[in-house]
Amino acid sequence: MDPKLVEVTQLFARFKAAYARNDLDVCANLLSQLKVLLTKFPSLPPSFQQTPNAVEELTTARDIYEHAVVLSVKMEDQDAFERDFCQLKPYYMDTCGIIPPSPEEYPILGLNLLRLLVQNRIAEFHTELELLPAKALENLCIKHAVELEQSFMEGAYNRVLTARQAVPHETYVYFMDLLAKTVRDEIAGCSEKGYDFLSISDAKQMFMFSSDQELQQYIAEEHPEWDVKNGSVFFQKVKESQPCKEIPAAPVITQTLGYARELERIV
Amino acid sequence: MPEDVQMSEPQPAAAPAPAAAAAAAAAPPPSTLHHLKEIASVIEAGSLSKEVRRISRAVRLTVALRRRLAAGDVSAFLAFALPASGEAYARLTCLLPKEDETEMDVDATAPATQISIKQGLPEIEIYCCLLVLIFLIDQKKYDEAKSCATATIARLKTLNRRTVDVLASRLYFYYSYVHEITNSLAEIRGNLLGLHRMATLHHDELGQETLLNLLLRNYLHYNLFDQAEKLRSKAPRFEAHSNQQFCRYLFYLGKIRTIQLEYTDAKESLLQAARKAPMAARGFRIQCNKWAIIVRLLLGEIPERTVFMQKGMKEALIPYFELTNAVRIGDLELFRAVADKFASTFSADRTHNLIVRLRHNVIRTGLRNISLSYSRISLADIAKKLRLVSADPVADAESIVSKAIRDGAIDATIDHSNGWMVSKETGDVYSTNEPQAAFNSRIAFCLNMHNEAVKAMRFPPNSHKEKESAEKRRERLQQEEELAKHMAEEDDDDF
Repeated sequence: MDPKLVEVTQLFARFKAAYARNDLDVCANLLSQLKVLLTKFPSLPPSFQQTPNAVEELTTARDIYEHAVVLSVKMEDQDAFERDFCQLKPYYMDTCGIIPPSPEEYPILGLNLLRLLVQNRIAEFHTELELLPAKALENLCIKHAVELEQSFMEGAYNRVLTARQAVPHETYVYFMDLLAKTVRDEIAGCSEKGYDFLSISDAKQMFMFSSDQELQQYIAEEHPEWDVKNGSVFFQKVKESQPCKEIPAAPVITQTLGYARELERIV
Repeated sequence: MPEDVQMSEPQPAAAPAPAAAAAAAAAPPPSTLHHLKEIASVIEAGSLSKEVRRISRAVRLTVALRRRLAAGDVSAFLAFALPASGEAYARLTCLLPKEDETEMDVDATAPATQISIKQGLPEIEIYCCLLVLIFLIDQKKYDEAKSCATATIARLKTLNRRTVDVLASRLYFYYSYVHEITNSLAEIRGNLLGLHRMATLHHDELGQETLLNLLLRNYLHYNLFDQAEKLRSKAPRFEAHSNQQFCRYLFYLGKIRTIQLEYTDAKESLLQAARKAPMAARGFRIQCNKWAIIVRLLLGEIPERTVFMQKGMKEALIPYFELTNAVRIGDLELFRAVADKFASTFSADRTHNLIVRLRHNVIRTGLRNISLSYSRISLADIAKKLRLVSADPVADAESIVSKAIRDGAIDATIDHSNGWMVSKETGDVYSTNEPQAAFNSRIAFCLNMHNEAVKAMRFPPNSHKEKESAEKRRERLQQEEELAKHMAEEDDDDF
């Protein structure tokens, strides 16, 4: 067996051990070493050279990047997630004929969709979605993300929140928590326009706070313009334009003179 | 550039072209071979006088001949046009199927005036390749067509003459087309990118235009919208040379923008593509209309009934018509039924994901209807009317209503403690300055239109010139007709 491949396999075994121990710092360290080693394989994207070890190399590399993606979620690092996912993506898109599909493929793709949703990158969300074949949409993980997007768009926010209890994969919890925050901001924005006032207990329930203090703090930080009095939250409405009683004389005169001038030119 | 040296040689053989054309007009229906020979002389004239216009005319004439091409004609033409000892002749003839060659003998006795052309011009060689390629595609000999196209592309890379560009861009099209039919588009992507770079370096704008479209088509075939958009936004842009290519570009652009949720821009591109496409390009216009309908629905507009009743499109647009109806009524149940009923059509059109996005619009329309008809309605009733299916429909309805209020779709307030929605009185619009502003903008539009029309008017200086321009107009009309036919032909291929 190729010595480089042996080295990577051994290092990866150590990485997995650390990963199982949940020793994230060691994992991150080993991962960067692994990534450097991977650059020496000519069979990996983008060159895709046909080497005798291509299948093993590709499979190992894909496995490493899959772990990298999940690790970035554990470390709650969204930038690293994006980087690792971009490196992983060619293995899913362009290696179909060479290595068998990975069982982790759909959970990770679904995770990426969820990330785009959390970051409110809806255009990219749909671009990614178009890449998926029809049968992928049946997959539980992908479906989860797609339904979330729909509920989010419709405004059925409590459906988004109940979806948190039904996550298809444990890694999804991190993004679901972030999503809850995005949803809260959305709800606050909608309530402001939709209601004249809300009682404190209703508002607390609607914004998913467990205590009045949390609600007060949220209002103070995010929406200082709201009024809290008599046990209710009053939203400041933008005053609607009053029907105009006066005729704006000057503009009307200029307009009419303009018409007269133009008409004269025609006739 | 050795070819350029060759091009500058004085060449007296250019003269026979018009004479031959006149003779052909007088003769009884001339044979296909004779037509081909005429086309060859047009190309020769174009090549020698460096007139790109003539070469494009030759390509158009070829398309008109396409249905009548027989193996005998093609091989006889190759023998006529290419030096028998040349490498190109050997390569092309071995690709052609061997058939009885009796027709050729008939041609030899045909009353045609002898057309002779100078052999060895690269334009003629490339034209022969194009002819063989088209013929092979029509005969469904895709493997031969592929090898012919690949070899010709390799040859094209060694040429750098502006007169070849027109032929080259057609070749690129068929090169990509034959790979599309055989479902191997991904293989040629690198090659197309290379050709696009070459065309850019040669300032071959027609080639760039064609190749950019082929690349976009290539990416979109695999739903690679991200790559397509990256290429499109970075590729050099210039004024369109060919109307067909511009239509295609607009269509692809519209598709990309639709996926990326830029509906307003997408609508503009798609409608423009549909308008610019010639009447004959039915398949293309149907595609544009389908996408435009969905985009308009996504924008919250309801396309007029006339859109669905356009000539020749009624059948194809029926699924979209029913879909529009469901959105218009705002009935989720009906929408679901339509989506299921035509699921196969929608997935064949690859619009399925867009239709999933429409669900949200259906709810909005339903909600707007409710808000208009009731001044006060309970949230439970809203949930029932919208037929929301979920664990807690009332809470769903409440948040849906509040989002609709925020997005400005309806004008209402929610009373949480009583659980109802109160629609606001629509104010009397005539008490505001709104009508005055609308009136003003319409008058401004009309006056502007009048002024533009006056500016655009041209008067013939004298009657002599007028006669000439009438002739010119006839010629132009004829050319336009040819173009339209040509476009129709292409679009038969496309869809």
